Amino acid sequence: MEDDLPSKYEVIVIGTGMTESIVAAAASRIGKRVLHLDRNDYYGGMWASFTFEALQKWLDECRNGKTNDFVKTSSPLVQDTEKSITIGNQFSTVFNIEEKWFIPEKLPSVGNLLSAKITQTEDSPKESKDGLTETEATLKQNDKLWCQAKIKSMGRKFNLDLAPKLLFSRGTLVELLISSNISRYAEFRCVNRILTWQSDKLETVPCSRADVFATKNVGLIEKRQLMQLLTLCVEYKPESGEFKGFEDKTLKQYLESKGLTENLMHYVLYAIAMSNDTTPCMVGVERTQRFLSSLGRYGNTPFLWPMYGTGELPQCFCRLCAVFGGVYHLKRAADSVIAANNECKAILSDGSRLDCDHLVMGVADAPPEFLGSVPKAGLSRGIFIIDRSISTTDKESLTLLQFPIKGKEPITVIEAGPSTHVCPPGLYLLHMTTKQIDNAVNDLKPAVDALLHSEYADGTTIRINTDTQSTQTSKEGDSSASSGESNILNESLKPQILYALYFNCPETSEYDLSQNVPSNVHLCSGPDLAVDYEFAVKQAKSIFSKMYPDSEFLPRAPDPEELSLEVDEAAGPPFQSSEEPKEE
Amino acid sequence: MSSADRVFERRIVSKRRTSANLEDEPEKQCPNGWASVVAAAAAAASSSSSTLRQKAAACKTSQRTTFQPHPDSICDWFFKVMVLGDSGVGKTCLLVRFRDDMFLGGNYISTVGVDFRNKIISVDDSKVKLQIWDTAGQERFRSVTHAYYRDAHALLLLYDVTNKVSFDNIRAWLSEIRDYANDQVVIMLIGNKADCSLNDRMVKREDGEQLAKEYSVTFMETSAKSGFNVEIAFMAVARELLFKKTGIEKKGSFNVQDYMKEQTKSNCPACSTT
Repeated sequence: MEDDLPSKYEVIVIGTGMTESIVAAAASRIGKRVLHLDRNDYYGGMWASFTFEALQKWLDECRNGKTNDFVKTSSPLVQDTEKSITIGNQFSTVFNIEEKWFIPEKLPSVGNLLSAKITQTEDSPKESKDGLTETEATLKQNDKLWCQAKIKSMGRKFNLDLAPKLLFSRGTLVELLISSNISRYAEFRCVNRILTWQSDKLETVPCSRADVFATKNVGLIEKRQLMQLLTLCVEYKPESGEFKGFEDKTLKQYLESKGLTENLMHYVLYAIAMSNDTTPCMVGVERTQRFLSSLGRYGNTPFLWPMYGTGELPQCFCRLCAVFGGVYHLKRAADSVIAANNECKAILSDGSRLDCDHLVMGVADAPPEFLGSVPKAGLSRGIFIIDRSISTTDKESLTLLQFPIKGKEPITVIEAGPSTHVCPPGLYLLHMTTKQIDNAVNDLKPAVDALLHSEYADGTTIRINTDTQSTQTSKEGDSSASSGESNILNESLKPQILYALYFNCPETSEYDLSQNVPSNVHLCSGPDLAVDYEFAVKQAKSIFSKMYPDSEFLPRAPDPEELSLEVDEAAGPPFQSSEEPKEE
Repeated sequence: MSSADRVFERRIVSKRRTSANLEDEPEKQCPNGWASVVAAAAAAASSSSSTLRQKAAACKTSQRTTFQPHPDSICDWFFKVMVLGDSGVGKTCLLVRFRDDMFLGGNYISTVGVDFRNKIISVDDSKVKLQIWDTAGQERFRSVTHAYYRDAHALLLLYDVTNKVSFDNIRAWLSEIRDYANDQVVIMLIGNKADCSLNDRMVKREDGEQLAKEYSVTFMETSAKSGFNVEIAFMAVARELLFKKTGIEKKGSFNVQDYMKEQTKSNCPACSTT
């Protein structure tokens, strides 16, 4: 099979991350011969989503490092005038891995459980009201108890994202998916709740007009103020002069000048403008505009989340690339880059020389000398499997929370539930991402402490609300309006962490990657800090236009009905009228 | 079929709509039939011309969004069928034979440009739209995207009866399917190129049957070249899918294998069983 791989391409792409995949699709779409390789047996690289088992395998590889066995400095495939540059080891780029279980390996048997005490509530447990015996109640509750073996047995139902991100409904990625017709490969769910952390509790942020009217968290005068401000931002044009004098000030200073209450200021600054105390005013206004303009296209928040996790998205672009003739080979590493006169000529892979006009590669696959002084620090990531939502309502929510940290970048928290096919029923996934200052554990600690119950659960007790009424509030009325009311975050209501994973990985989006590479080599950054895909799409577009300045970027792919099959020879004899229903 | 079927699944409104009124009717039932799923594609596609309000209305009813165009055809049911198997076993040929009733013979045609094909068939009194997806050649180096298996209602797993390796690889394909496909997916094992001469045949029909039995999937031999069993295979899959959706209230059970035996008897007297 290996020998079948043709040896000449116009574009070779190494790594199947988001940016790499978009570039591969774009090149293939305009008829270029594309080879797309990935050393892993999965798609996505640092953008992948894993089942629980696959995550464990990935972690093992990260810890142990995967070395390239094939390092040949002189090869008959490299000519005298050419130089062979060995490609590095991607797994050295993930570090500070901390993995922790908060539940026992196995549950104690039911017999033991019966004797174990159930944390009592002030109200008597609901089960006894239903007239169940103690045994039945225990058995029933046993379903809600978690152990490692149980999580592992459901491992296939997880899609754990290395780089969880959301799409702005009117962002460049959504527009690209629609304009290129790649949208048919993916499905999305609307983020239906944006929370914020204020005065030590979670609150629902009113984003849309309707939300602002409906919310009970802000008073009538505040509502008018908020509406005015948001309208102002949406309609803002540079010539209006509204923000005159604030060009070099912060958004916070501007909001203060408008006399907003602390409450409103918090909503606008942290949740809607997705900013912090030091964000410049005009940047904040731009972000506010982007937020508001994406509202209402698909839902009551500006964001979409891909079903089955974010790892699906690079695969959609790869599929399009393949449909237009791109050749795909996973589990195939590039060993070195062959260059001459500051130009890449070919790559060596598994003993073959593969020629190319352009080479596109992710930073994780790039030889060290291409990277120069690219910073190694970057993102602090946390992935948590939890037993309930951080803010429970009567229906499952998909939640974004920007957890503010004084004087630093906020911690982006995304919570997704089983309906998005990222975890089994009864569980939630919580993703945290922030800029690395120290290490992932310490950087994310404020949010973990505030939102989660991180003590070991021995598997014999179930934590029950001490105040049942606080959960009941949300059942009344429309959930979007009332969820803000039910935000009494009782200690016992906090989700229990079942499994936690922390790691750090590089963030190179602010680094000029073209400095140390041959002219026809194009490096792609890994996942960036931002919550959206704007950066990846922008980078892919810019790489494509560097390679093919006069070609259209991902024109619409035809629908199958628009294709007519061209066959060399006459069609075979008809065997049956195909449209005729067959009767038994 | 009684109207009670709607209890289980609202049927797709059988009305051909233009892109203009798609915009006006954003609240259509989803093509793949899961409640709370909306095809927001239409609204998305012509976004520039419509107001925010209309779209907001579309989303109130659902949290799940797909940009994919609503299958606007006259059909009651919509199923996604994926074709899988080694390179060169005839996946595209089978698809084309079924869809367009012709055979792509002669030169080896790679699958460039063939993404998926739609075909509407009649099963009893229902119009069923099958959307049949091809692997886009990614199977060549065992690099089919996992996303390909997601949401498949049925998988046709092909091997070539003249190629033992393609048969041996079926187990690997099956394990990949089990890892990523939906638990309820309908799987059919197909031995293609059954028109071959006895000398060329490397996999006995019984071996295929045995393997299918082992994995509890249905089995059939086909020939995309002659058309042998092709339509029956797709019809059987459609029937089984339909039965899974509606069969709850129907008496008895539907056995694909029995159905196929019946069909092969009546329609294909020529088909030999080696």
